[in-house]
Amino acid sequence: MFKKILIANRGEIAVRVIRACKELGVRSVAVHSEADANALHVRLADEALCIGPPDAALSYRNIPHILSAAEITACEAIHPGYGFLAENAHFAEVCESIGIKFIGPTSHSIALMGDKSKAREILSRQGLPVLPGSEGEIASEQEAAEVASKIGYPVIIKASAGGGGRGMRVVNKEEELAHAFQTARAEAAATFGDQGVYVERYFLEPRHIEVQILADERGRTISLGERDCSVQRRYQKLIEETPSPAVDDRLRRELGRVAVEIAQAVRYRNAGTVEFLLDKDHRFFFMEMNTRIQVEHPITEEVTGIDLVKEQIRIAAGQPLSVKQQDVKINGHSFECRINAECPDKFTPCPGRITRFHAPGGPGIRVDTAIETGCEIPSHYDSLIAKLIVHGRSREEAMARMRRALEECVVEGVKTTIPLHRRIFEDPDFQKGRFSTAFLERFCAVYPT
Amino acid sequence: MKRRAPKAISKAKAAGPKPAPDALIDPKVLHELVELFQAAGVSDLEVERNGLRVRLRREEPGSSASVREVTVPVSDTARASSPSEGLAAAQAGEGLVTVTSPIVGVFYRSASPENDPYVEEGSYVKKGQVLCIVEAMKLMNEIESEMDGRVIKLLVENAKPVEYGEPLFLIDPMAGPEG
Repeated sequence: MFKKILIANRGEIAVRVIRACKELGVRSVAVHSEADANALHVRLADEALCIGPPDAALSYRNIPHILSAAEITACEAIHPGYGFLAENAHFAEVCESIGIKFIGPTSHSIALMGDKSKAREILSRQGLPVLPGSEGEIASEQEAAEVASKIGYPVIIKASAGGGGRGMRVVNKEEELAHAFQTARAEAAATFGDQGVYVERYFLEPRHIEVQILADERGRTISLGERDCSVQRRYQKLIEETPSPAVDDRLRRELGRVAVEIAQAVRYRNAGTVEFLLDKDHRFFFMEMNTRIQVEHPITEEVTGIDLVKEQIRIAAGQPLSVKQQDVKINGHSFECRINAECPDKFTPCPGRITRFHAPGGPGIRVDTAIETGCEIPSHYDSLIAKLIVHGRSREEAMARMRRALEECVVEGVKTTIPLHRRIFEDPDFQKGRFSTAFLERFCAVYPT
Repeated sequence: MKRRAPKAISKAKAAGPKPAPDALIDPKVLHELVELFQAAGVSDLEVERNGLRVRLRREEPGSSASVREVTVPVSDTARASSPSEGLAAAQAGEGLVTVTSPIVGVFYRSASPENDPYVEEGSYVKKGQVLCIVEAMKLMNEIESEMDGRVIKLLVENAKPVEYGEPLFLIDPMAGPEG
């Protein structure tokens, strides 16, 4: 096991990793920007170093500074958390080359899965279920039109280097294709510095279902059930739950089997998430793979009892998986509500000072956060300030706990998504588990704040 | 912690204008510069070209010109990694200026263990003069003074790790070169 690791992140995920370190008896080194000098992760870690000014490009994304910090504190490994450098293949490669263990997959896997059209191509050749679409990137409008007429409209044009909803264009009919193709390419070039795009079938009201996988350094790979992340707006997830109300045991086994095959097809290591679209007929298609720990990982931890972050560190240290596939049991139901510092109606960030914070408690409730009364939410970073996670024996019990937790939770000083969460948990369709990725936008239109 | 002794200044290859292949300036060019300097009758002359910087300065009015220093190629990598293109300097109390580290690394007072420290407490430094080295990822980054002044206090011990923004020196910019 490692003696000491550096956490190249901030906020709740840095705190989450430090907690895992403490339980494993591993010393932790926090890095921080000048804006985070008094942050919780800085105080909880065994050591802390300032690595740059508030601008993340000069601090949390500053590869030379982070590696230098790891070197002078004699860290053997770096946990990247999510965001910042977590899916930066170059960073993983530099870590590999200087003998610092990157806690995650190899730079090769990151690069492969980061190139969405390439990933599609490889998986489709192996007979794995990718969305109907182009094989690799498309070079011209004519090619786009040919692919689109073959798979049928509507289609979506996506950037190869994209993710998180940027660089996408939905095309409903052929007349719109030429314009959409040009704008998607221009947007991809401007946003990602790479104009490569590909075409996929566009599903109108799918569910976003993702499967958590773990793979050790010997390639032993297991799946840990699915997460339903359909409640999202502009590809930003807001509520996640597991198990999905739309997935039965048979589909779960099938999703798990395919997710493991996808991971093995790219020789994946460590924790990862395979994202699928599930259509109304319960057919599922590979969308992309997230090569890191995810924001919503706690709900999987709640129902499986497996600590994913500790497992990540153990795997990186060369240890075999601590559980076998047949020992993975889904126990009860879990929800996560993302508490963001933002206006609930327009989803615009709302930085400021937290004048009062009270976390909910009691049975089945977990709060992953780095905020406290009196702390400042800097405007430089993500608006996620807390994750409210509940666990219950059934979906009904978990929902009742979440309603109670949302009622108890107090955040004053900044606007948050808490009022929106409270309303969603009162919604009959949501309560019955009847929703798709179109749910939230429709909900916000019907119930303006 | 494993510590390496400071090594020679690295010549990092980076994008942008290439530094001159050698640290040493052509003696002929230097001679011409000195002649030009003397003829012009100025007290200070600084020439920078292809990453080489030469400064000529008269010690006292009337005395002959002396070559003060020939600076080695400026590391482009070091520049690129320092956020404020040089030093972050903050005003300390009583007119003193705090020189802070622009990078995370290991602080060294001299170019190598055999060399004398770049500066001591009480040294008078000129703008652009090297104060110390901060080593990051085996790159020796020279930290230059952003002002003329006297080094009042050294705040970090040799070979100690420093973080971004850590105070390294206190400099009095009002102090003159004498006394």
